[in-house]
Amino acid sequence: MAQMTVLEALNAAMAHELERDPDVVLLGEDVGTEGGIFRTTEGLQLRFGSHRVIDTPLDEKGIAAHAVGMALYGLKPIVEIQFSGFIHDAFEQIMFCASKYRWATGGMYTVPMVVRAPSFGGIRGGFWHSQSPEPYYIHGGGIKVIVPSTARDAYGMMLAAVRDPDPVLILEPVPLYRSLRGEVEDNGIALELGQAEVVREGRDLTLLTWGPLRHDCLGVAQALHSERGWDIEVIDLRSLVPYDEDTLLASVRKTGRLVIVHEAPMSGGFGAELAAMVQQKAFGYLHCPIERVAPPDLPYGYAGADQFYRPNERRIRAGIARTMEFQV
Amino acid sequence: MSSKETAPATFAGNPRPIVGPVLDRARELGIRQVLDADGALAGDLPDPDLPRETLLKMYRTMLTVSAIDARGWKLQRSGRIDFWIPSRGQEGSHTASTMAMEPSDWIFMASREPGTMLARGATLLQLFAQFFGRAEEPLKGRRLPLLLGDRSLNIVPCMTIVGSYIPHAAGAAWAAKIKGDDTRFIVYFGDGATSRGEFHSAMNFAGIHKPPIVFLCQNNGWAVSTPNDRQTASETFAEKGNAYGVRNLRVDGNDPLAVYSVTRQARDEARELGPTLIETVTYRLGPHTSSDNPDLYRRSEEAEAWRHWDPIPRFRKYLERRGVWTAEDGQQFLAALELQMDQAVHTAEAMRQTAPAEMFDDVFEQPTRLLQEQRALMLADLAGEA
Repeated sequence: MAQMTVLEALNAAMAHELERDPDVVLLGEDVGTEGGIFRTTEGLQLRFGSHRVIDTPLDEKGIAAHAVGMALYGLKPIVEIQFSGFIHDAFEQIMFCASKYRWATGGMYTVPMVVRAPSFGGIRGGFWHSQSPEPYYIHGGGIKVIVPSTARDAYGMMLAAVRDPDPVLILEPVPLYRSLRGEVEDNGIALELGQAEVVREGRDLTLLTWGPLRHDCLGVAQALHSERGWDIEVIDLRSLVPYDEDTLLASVRKTGRLVIVHEAPMSGGFGAELAAMVQQKAFGYLHCPIERVAPPDLPYGYAGADQFYRPNERRIRAGIARTMEFQV
Repeated sequence: MSSKETAPATFAGNPRPIVGPVLDRARELGIRQVLDADGALAGDLPDPDLPRETLLKMYRTMLTVSAIDARGWKLQRSGRIDFWIPSRGQEGSHTASTMAMEPSDWIFMASREPGTMLARGATLLQLFAQFFGRAEEPLKGRRLPLLLGDRSLNIVPCMTIVGSYIPHAAGAAWAAKIKGDDTRFIVYFGDGATSRGEFHSAMNFAGIHKPPIVFLCQNNGWAVSTPNDRQTASETFAEKGNAYGVRNLRVDGNDPLAVYSVTRQARDEARELGPTLIETVTYRLGPHTSSDNPDLYRRSEEAEAWRHWDPIPRFRKYLERRGVWTAEDGQQFLAALELQMDQAVHTAEAMRQTAPAEMFDDVFEQPTRLLQEQRALMLADLAGEA
């Protein structure tokens, strides 16, 4: 088994699929000769040709829309958007075309395409380079939304996305691209989508997250265990559409406390949906209100914003403490 | 709405000078024609000399489109269907361009092309079942009347957002080229769609990658209430292709023979030369939809002037001159057609509507657990069991 960065794992997965299936193509801005601005697609054009790894004009809407057409005809396009802050131009194409064709044509036409959107903060990138757009895409149906945050997940979930019969949006963890390594076996085995991972087992509180904050949450849980004796269960949801209700509910029924941490602004974030579901299905198990730790309803700033806008260790600790020490 | 429609057809909006039919100046403007307004061979293009059966199919399809339009209005105005998108005046543009394509070629629809479905073999019953939104038609009652399509006919229904699907057609054509297939493509859209970003995306990508596609812009003069000169300052819609390296031309959209000729050539050359943008200059004789009142924005004299170029009598005169059609043929065909439509309407209206559970189908290949749960809850609520 090889040690790979998240970036290398994504590259290995795409190479595997380009090799396995001649209908897989990859398109986006600078994905070919440059290998993508992050080098995620490095070497793929040389290996598979410029007709399958395609440098496109600078036009997110156009890229997504042409990929829709390619998928309608039977190709399996993987679209790279350079940053998820630039994906909004393609929103209509993804949310009102790609993800609606199957339904709007009575199942006659389908759009199995993958949209890759490098996402999340922590890279001193400012608003347009640090976004978490998942709330927009969980609303309205027809597209799967997944968020890998380890090298192993990046590999297995990318394979699953390419093989999925429906559109899949994969929010890639930019701050972990090169900083995180892990064991990855390039064996072509896809991870089943819709499975959460219990990162750390615990009895006192469920700390639910997705994206790069998984690692921050784990660190806080470990620290609080030694500091205060709190035994915190950390869950990485990994897939938002569909999501793993069973794992979440089993955990909350065990711990009776839930803190949800995410990088998208608070109002209308996916945490709100999950909190609503948990209060409905596990109401009698809850010892206290469900807590959310998320950015305020503001744009992501530049100077210093990574330290206070994005949920950090101190804010996650505060949310946990409010929950553990809650009194009616 | 109803009070407006029963009022006399007077112009209620800002006065605009009446612009005579662009086709009056076709020769001067380089709009390609086979026929003059009277159906005589007086245009700059030669008569494609189509076989008798092709001509008959083309004309009968146009007549059928026109008859369906009249029937659809009645059904909508009497409340039996909810909505109508008229195609009167544009029968030639879409019917002839569809017939210029091979059956294996893919068509991406807009919303005024019932003749495209008919020319590919769809039955009246299939069309009326779609207008009534019945469960057993290919789109399962999910789309507004006239947003038509059928995979078995290689016809992709439109995504309703005007112009949004133009690059879907171009992307599919590009995919065929990548796969080495010989499939060709045509996509229909209107003059208003050329203002959308997707039109420009499609032109831009197509200029570079040369997919085998005909971009067919049906310029019917009006995008709802917006006339051509408020849509663009370009002299023509066709010339927008120049900016992207996409060859282009204007053709008389009310001259089915000219539309057929230029579309066929663009189609045949598409594999070697790539895309063509064709602007068919036509006119929407009716309102935008059943929810529109054109008296608010255009003078009735303008539409009247365009009747001079009505594609149906014009093509009929050509056919009569060629001896493939007589007035008697017309009477017989229309009488039989009315009976067939009666039958189709009767049968379609009696077909079942979509059941609540069926709206959960086709969101994903396999419904998520959440959707299954929502379906069960909704059905229980509807049954009064909750």
